[in-house]
Amino acid sequence: MNVVTNNDNKCTLALLALKDVLDPEIGLNVVDLGLIYRIDFNDDTHYILVIMTFTTQFCPMGQSILDDVILTMEMAFRECTVKVDVIFDPPWSMQLISEEGRKFLNR
Amino acid sequence: MIVSAALTKTTSYKVIIPFYAFSALSFLTAAALLFRFAGEFTGHYFQPHILAITHTMALGWGTMMILGASHQLVPVMVEGKLYSNFLAGLSFVLAAAGIPLLVYAFYTFSMQWPAQYGAILVNAAILSFLANLTGSLLGSKSKNVHAIFVYTATLWLFAATLMGLLLIYNFTLPIFSKDSLHFLSLHAHLGIAGWFLLMVMGVGSRLIPMFMISKYTHEKLLWTIYGLVNGGLLSFAFIFIYVGSSALLFIPVIAVAAAIALFAVFIYQAYSKRIRRKVDNQVRISLFSILLMAIPVGFLVIFAAMLILNRVDTSLVLAYGFSIFFGWITAIIFGMTFKTLPFIVWNKVYHQRAGLGKTPNPKDLFAAKVFNVMGTAYLLGFVLFIAGILTSSHVLLQYASFGILLAALLYNWNVFSVIFHTPPKK
Repeated sequence: MNVVTNNDNKCTLALLALKDVLDPEIGLNVVDLGLIYRIDFNDDTHYILVIMTFTTQFCPMGQSILDDVILTMEMAFRECTVKVDVIFDPPWSMQLISEEGRKFLNR
Repeated sequence: MIVSAALTKTTSYKVIIPFYAFSALSFLTAAALLFRFAGEFTGHYFQPHILAITHTMALGWGTMMILGASHQLVPVMVEGKLYSNFLAGLSFVLAAAGIPLLVYAFYTFSMQWPAQYGAILVNAAILSFLANLTGSLLGSKSKNVHAIFVYTATLWLFAATLMGLLLIYNFTLPIFSKDSLHFLSLHAHLGIAGWFLLMVMGVGSRLIPMFMISKYTHEKLLWTIYGLVNGGLLSFAFIFIYVGSSALLFIPVIAVAAAIALFAVFIYQAYSKRIRRKVDNQVRISLFSILLMAIPVGFLVIFAAMLILNRVDTSLVLAYGFSIFFGWITAIIFGMTFKTLPFIVWNKVYHQRAGLGKTPNPKDLFAAKVFNVMGTAYLLGFVLFIAGILTSSHVLLQYASFGILLAALLYNWNVFSVIFHTPPKK
């Protein structure tokens, strides 16, 4: 996985929390699936920006995954306001699945 | 929380679930009729009860299920949103009113008002779906090969139902120069190859690789398949209407058989290039349904050869039809129901509960053991019934139809368990 961030320590914590958010169809978490592109933290304004994608723009489970990501981030960083941008450029591809994710899918 | 999402809203569950419920009940009805009239499968295929079973399966089971799933899948296929929820609801109401009337008319073999009104309502339902699909396609940015398969399939469906309507009126008014029985094979194949085959290929080529997380894609191959099915169907219609020579029927048979073989190659390539190793039972039964397509193709080749020799074996026709509706179509519906319905219901029930604690997985909404027993009962019933038709064995037909009835009961149990699922109380 290759998540862009401006704060490595907080990003590690965020990704750890987001590993609990699963794509219900695949059973794999959003981090190892490669859906999280970027997490930026603004310590002055207590503001977090998450940029993520879905496997398809018309993912029937998209809204559920999105809600789960927001709630998980708000739980992990209670003092912060979380903003999530869902983008489809660049689109998700199978190359974004992490090594751990590939092992899970290959079981 | 602030969300800036480019997500497209999916179709409401309220639109889709009635189709699934109607379809499940239709399958149960058809299985009960099959059990009650199993012995009639030793005679001719043009009989009231067999026509009633066939139309319950083709319209109530297969078409209603595909229409329901399509309303959910059209946004995925056309990469845009469904044009109208109202038209979707309207197509359900019209079809749900028309199909029982039509089936009742065939059951009693009365081609008066129930058959005529039933056929009119079914045609109106298909037109409503076609309008919705046209609107969805026009409003989408992407006109991909899968969407073209779906759209063409729906056009063929309308051709089949329109012809069905004319054939019903032909019983009481001289619309055609020949009786309705003469046109039965054209009407049936517009539906079987035009609607079911193209639809399954269009949707399957998109969804099966997606479910297996396969990187395989081959648009050129899919266009070749599209050309073969449509070419086969058009040549069949031309030969049937203008030439009337049985010897030429090998042309459409070969074209469609080649299309099915190429589709099997496509699915095999997708399967072998998948990232997700473990294939669940729902996808497995869908893959199995692709193999089941070989059975009707085999019957068709034999049947075409016999036509050239001017010999018509009615048991072969019955086995051919049975292997399509109770074999290939039923198997793929079994698989796809439990690949789509649990997600639709899961979204409805758990969408607002995201992050608020552990929720079951969508696949936990139905009983896997019941699904497996259903699959076994179905497979045994299917194989024995085909054997029963070919050997004209009443005993085999009766036992086999019990297996299919059991499968239908278990299918309904699981479907309605999912539909009426409520979150577990803490």
